[in-house]
Amino acid sequence: MFIRILRKSLSKRKSRIAIAVISVIIGAAIATALLSVSLDVSEKVGQEFRKYGANLLVVPESDTIDVGFPGVEFGSVTEQRYISESDIWKIKSIYWRNNVLGFTPLLYQVVIIGQGIDAQQVVLVGTYFNKEVEILEPYSPNDDSTFTTGIKEISPWWNVEGEWIEDSNDTTGSMIGTNVAEKLNLTLGDSYTIKYIDTFENGYNETYYNLTVTGIITTGGNEDDQIFVNLQVAQDITSRDDKIHTVQVSALCNACPVDTFAEEIEGKISDIEARTVKQLVSAEMSILGKIENMMFLVTIVALLASALGVTTTMTTSVIERKKEIGLMKSVGAENKKIMSLFFSEATIIGIIGGIAGFIIGVILAQIIGISVFNTSITPRLEIIPIVLLVSITVALLASIIPIRRAIRVEPAVVLRGE
Amino acid sequence: MKLDIIRLKEIYKIYNENTHALDGLNFSMNKGDWTTITGPSGSGKTTLLNIIGCLDSPTKGSVFINGTKITGLNQKELTCFRREHIGLIFQQYHLVPYLTALENVMMAQYYHSVVDETQAIDVLKRVGLSHRLTHIPAHLSGGEQQRVCIARALINEPEILLADEPTGNLDQKNGEVVLKLIKDLHKEGHTIILITHNPEIAQLGERRINLIDGRVDFDSYKNR
Repeated sequence: MFIRILRKSLSKRKSRIAIAVISVIIGAAIATALLSVSLDVSEKVGQEFRKYGANLLVVPESDTIDVGFPGVEFGSVTEQRYISESDIWKIKSIYWRNNVLGFTPLLYQVVIIGQGIDAQQVVLVGTYFNKEVEILEPYSPNDDSTFTTGIKEISPWWNVEGEWIEDSNDTTGSMIGTNVAEKLNLTLGDSYTIKYIDTFENGYNETYYNLTVTGIITTGGNEDDQIFVNLQVAQDITSRDDKIHTVQVSALCNACPVDTFAEEIEGKISDIEARTVKQLVSAEMSILGKIENMMFLVTIVALLASALGVTTTMTTSVIERKKEIGLMKSVGAENKKIMSLFFSEATIIGIIGGIAGFIIGVILAQIIGISVFNTSITPRLEIIPIVLLVSITVALLASIIPIRRAIRVEPAVVLRGE
Repeated sequence: MKLDIIRLKEIYKIYNENTHALDGLNFSMNKGDWTTITGPSGSGKTTLLNIIGCLDSPTKGSVFINGTKITGLNQKELTCFRREHIGLIFQQYHLVPYLTALENVMMAQYYHSVVDETQAIDVLKRVGLSHRLTHIPAHLSGGEQQRVCIARALINEPEILLADEPTGNLDQKNGEVVLKLIKDLHKEGHTIILITHNPEIAQLGERRINLIDGRVDFDSYKNR
């Protein structure tokens, strides 16, 4: 009987119910859209940030050693330490491996180009450009066993004239900074010779190596004064097999704390430190935080507007149905039965509004995504229960005041028409 | 000797210092009696009916129904008491507009205890509406609506039927049908309290109480 009363009561007042449902739809649609955008855009904004370089730097544990006697310090001396190249696949085998967008090892060495008074000292950097790294022990059996990465992945924002070095076995190609090209008067396709002087206790050894310019880099940073070659080339020239100085890591840290990320890398590779590039990370977090706060506030305002709409409609409904409520009471309906009727109506309004709001919200999210962020937004089904719960809660909370009014109806008063 | 089913002791209903809707009423009603309450507008008839029907409470005084002092009950207890003991028949029928005749009767069952469609159909048959079960109030005549109202009042088998001008909105023919139903119910042993302005209907009961300004003007028994 309750269902019959509820069904007929709703169908009798379709237009009134429609207004309440539309109120909920507006709130649910905005909540869905902003939640979808927020979840998706956090990731996309994070990826955008990654275009501006690495946010984690892996370095040998300590580059300095304290010297002196126990209790007497003489300061510290620098000891050249290295990371083993054969360990760096481990960065892609941590718990947060899917958030590792890329990494690249770096080996630095000062070399000389030119002869006599024209000779110039330049930093030679060995790195990966686009190398397939084998993941020897994947974190999960479902993970890929290889990962293609390199400086091209880490620094896609570099302005490159010519070509990136794509072949990891290319032993003659080099990408030179724009300042180097200018000073040495080198252009694309030119060949040049570098000289590496290896000093040791009883003398020194000179190594000459021929390179070709495949690309000229402009970054506005240190890279403009450097020469980039495949890591293997730099290691061969400097006789530092398997050695690297640092690893730049590009990590998507909107879902995980970057410090936790760094700690996990430190746990995987011995004798290293993973340092976060604080400014970049904090700027990223700050912007993401602001976007999320703004969306949260807009959602709250939309839900309040929905609640107001439902309250108004339900109040009007109670006023219109005073006689009906009075009659129900006069034939024996207790307050809890009157309340259950109205709360059920509110729940149905919330469910219908929530489902319709979700569908409209997904479309709205696409419009926002494309027009504001220039990207499509992936619909997320996991939002449905959240939106439904929020819609039902809003409808129920908004009905409290009208329902209190309903249970205060005095049958003796309304049935005599006052 | 008939037993008291309703007893009123010093009943006052005061809305403000100058408005005494009921002004110290004292009387009893016997079980199975038909009592007609008459009096001019504003004399307190409906207020009295609402108090006996547990829809309103007196400002002062005590009301006993079936031995229970209802003036000491809270709102929830009054609701429970009303649905067990009292059937209400309204001048304006007060049917739920979107429910059929049958559903209007079943609604009273639902708020009382359990719904029994067969029993509801039987009651509607008894008031002569077996052919109107699925009609909504808007598709029923005034007399038919009043009969649905009577069926709803009867469905939970109350001992007391309170009728406030039950024929007030009906033409003579429909009024007679409704009065015949009430007479039949009285014969079956229901205690009837009926409010009317109509002198002819006022003669139908065994007892007539005339109120003026919330006081008993006269209280007469037909057969005594």
